[in-house]
Amino acid sequence: MIQGLVQLFIFQALGELLSKFALPFIPGPVLGLVLLLAFLALRGHVPAAMDLVGSSILQHLGLLFIPASVGVVLYLPVLRANAWAISAALVISVLATVAVTALLLKLLAPKD
Amino acid sequence: MNPMTHADLPAISEIWVYLSGSPLLALVLTLSAYLIGLTVYERSQRNPLANPVLIAVVLVCLSIGVLDMPYAQYFEGAQFVHFLLGTATVSLAIPIYKGFASLKGRMGVLMLSLVAGGLTSVLTAVGVARWLGVDESLVRGLVAKSVTAPIAMGIAERVQASPTLTAIFAVSTGILGAVLGRYVLDALRVTAWWQRGFALGVAAHGIGTSRAFSVNAEAGAYASLGMGLHGIAGAVLIPYAVGWWF
Repeated sequence: MIQGLVQLFIFQALGELLSKFALPFIPGPVLGLVLLLAFLALRGHVPAAMDLVGSSILQHLGLLFIPASVGVVLYLPVLRANAWAISAALVISVLATVAVTALLLKLLAPKD
Repeated sequence: MNPMTHADLPAISEIWVYLSGSPLLALVLTLSAYLIGLTVYERSQRNPLANPVLIAVVLVCLSIGVLDMPYAQYFEGAQFVHFLLGTATVSLAIPIYKGFASLKGRMGVLMLSLVAGGLTSVLTAVGVARWLGVDESLVRGLVAKSVTAPIAMGIAERVQASPTLTAIFAVSTGILGAVLGRYVLDALRVTAWWQRGFALGVAAHGIGTSRAFSVNAEAGAYASLGMGLHGIAGAVLIPYAVGWWF
């Protein structure tokens, strides 16, 4: 388990370094993700320890964004003032996104 | 509570000051709220409306309100949980890598649909919000809301948006997509599981993905692929889009 965690931290650190010194417009963890993806593609399989830790973290991904989301208490007045408009924007946007993505897939998919 | 009767014990307020000064209180609050959220979610047969994160956020907000704890103090303790977001983002490589195995030459189609879907997400959200006169301080929080929350918050920092608003909008988007997505897909007669899953993953990231997994395994695999690819593409492209649009 510790082994998997260390492997993930190493890719996270590599991503942070790459972001700091070479590609500052991309967040470090995303670069870490890309590096790990390249590593897995070269290796041909996911190391068991990494798979265990990664899957456990992703299974409880929701837990990790609670601390930031609780910051909503600071925005309650402005959110309340814009509640209907924001809800409309979110609903319309998610419906349109599902529709556009799915329709394109359906139209462009190789017939098999 | 009368401290006079417990003269030999430290006063409750003293214990309280001690506890609230350590990260322990914020951590216990966060983790127990999440556990309660998870329990409610399981009891509701995984109804996307009973989203565990949403429940937990409401519980923590109420608790720190009752305890009169400022958000900054709460976050100081809870940042140990927050830190793992980066590690979780890196871990997303694992489901993406596994998803590649089942692609069967669909990569081109998937990428095209992903870019179109991602653009639609940003343009419609910002367009509708501005049209309805939403406060400009909130509009920026909308640009990354269809991207999975850990990456969305990283993008938010780069486009001078609030990571908090972005996370809230991302979670709301995920719930809305998980609840409403199937009606859109049925209306458009999209029947292939991989297409339904991918569209849900692109539009509603993690919450849509777990919804897709609970319906069909192939839909779930494609949903995590859609979520992961949207995360990478969003991290690269959204800051540019914001650069010339705002």
